[in-house]
Amino acid sequence: MKTFKAYFKKEILEAVRSYKYLILFSGIVFWAIMNPLMIKLMPLLLKNYLPTDLSVLFSEYTIDAAFIDFMGNLFEIGTLVIVFSLMGLISNEVYSKKLVFPYSRGAEPAGFVTAKYIHYMFTISLFILVAFLTNYFYTTRLFEGGTLSIGIVLKSSLLYIIYYALLLSFLIFLSSLFRRGLVVGFSVAILAYSLSIFNRFNIIKAYFPNYLLYKAADLGHVFDNSLIPIFIISFCMIIILIFFSILRMRKIDIA
Amino acid sequence: MIKVANLVKNYRNVEALKAISFEVDKGSVFGFIGRNGAGKTTTMNILTGLIRFNSGKIFIKGKDFLKHKRELVKSVGYLPETPAFYNYMNAYQYLNFMRDIIGFDAEKSGKYIKRLIEMVKLTKQAKRRIGGYSRGMKQRLALAVAFMNNPEILFLDEPASALDPEGRLEMLELIESLKNDRITIFISTHILNDAERVCDKICIIDEGKIILTEDLSQLYKTYIQPIFDIEFEEEPGKEVNRLKKLSWIEGIKRKGRRVSLYIKDIDYAKKEVLKEISKLKVNISSYQIRKSTLEDIFIRIIKK
Repeated sequence: MKTFKAYFKKEILEAVRSYKYLILFSGIVFWAIMNPLMIKLMPLLLKNYLPTDLSVLFSEYTIDAAFIDFMGNLFEIGTLVIVFSLMGLISNEVYSKKLVFPYSRGAEPAGFVTAKYIHYMFTISLFILVAFLTNYFYTTRLFEGGTLSIGIVLKSSLLYIIYYALLLSFLIFLSSLFRRGLVVGFSVAILAYSLSIFNRFNIIKAYFPNYLLYKAADLGHVFDNSLIPIFIISFCMIIILIFFSILRMRKIDIA
Repeated sequence: MIKVANLVKNYRNVEALKAISFEVDKGSVFGFIGRNGAGKTTTMNILTGLIRFNSGKIFIKGKDFLKHKRELVKSVGYLPETPAFYNYMNAYQYLNFMRDIIGFDAEKSGKYIKRLIEMVKLTKQAKRRIGGYSRGMKQRLALAVAFMNNPEILFLDEPASALDPEGRLEMLELIESLKNDRITIFISTHILNDAERVCDKICIIDEGKIILTEDLSQLYKTYIQPIFDIEFEEEPGKEVNRLKKLSWIEGIKRKGRRVSLYIKDIDYAKKEVLKEISKLKVNISSYQIRKSTLEDIFIRIIKK
């Protein structure tokens, strides 16, 4: 618990000093504001350059469509921002020998790993929630039509939060395995994007993490029983990945 | 206090430590000396729990290090050769972070941390970011970290290597003062003058093998080859060669009025040498014993 507290405080200080909060906030919340504005303003800006039939596509956006479009962009861009800003969470500390002092004075690997995970899980969750609510605020003012309600927004945001909590556990685990942050970053990014493929296969899609994102965009039925397997899988995966990260940090040579 | 038996460490195909064994007494200063790459830092990293080892046994305070590692490292302070910090923190923030990890009373720690900063002479720079510190300043801060919570055992890896002459002197004085506090100090260095000044026991390691472990005073007795340098008022005659026949003299070198006697048995020689020289009936202008330094001994042992 001592190590957890020490590292939790240290992560907050580090995130402020290295502008990680700012980067994550911009990467996640930026799209919540920009996405509805772009959809709304695009037809006006491009009306002289686009054929009439294409500009109709932009003008027909409903609240629901604008919200789904935002979620798609958040996944594409937000994932990159999260993965590449947090890719060195553990590897940088090991590689630059910053753990020598804490470990030589009895720091607990469990406290070290969980402090990092919980800190960034809360940070990302908070920013996602803010982003979803911000987007809801703008889309409901800029667009008309659709079934979107605050309840649906909260449910969809929860699925995104679970998805990124799982992605973060992958990031932590790979960061404890590899010494180079870039290897971790690319591995997790490839994993995140490639798993989307499984959403095309109806029989198995419910067992892969990207199903959470698929269901978040299914505004009429965000929560249903089909989510139970992936909830269980995600929860178990997070526990397993964090457990193996701790195990790895117990066995690793620090100096 | 520390007992190491048949410790082996391999890095893939390289044998870094080849079944080394030694013991460190409580409250003593143990000098671990050797060339670069001899295995000094590897040994220290193992003893501070930072890296694993392949085989062997380590006991600290009588407890098996592998079984009680987390408990034992709490009574150990470590000063690595190249300390790494979170560069965005200042000295206060880093020491507070380490205080949280070690877990001592936060209320008392404010004054204690201030005292530590004063002790390592970083008061003026304490609120500056560590990233802007010189190597010597980082070494001082590392020393403060090593001292936190009054450890029973201190591991100092090349503690004076980054310090200026004044800082080095202060470091040696500090180590000497810690001897009085019965803190066990394990110091690795290749500055042999420093080892000679502060250590009680010397362990020489070379290519992953312990060459010898000896009390410093015993080391001098065993490995010293004293030389008596005698200068006569006029060049002595051939009769000086008679000294060669004496059992306690190994050899003689003559150069003009100067004669050097290479001695086998120093204690005997101290009593007899003047008697024998007086028999030569040539006036002596000077007479002195040339003493081997730890550096001479180290070079002789390593060359063997």
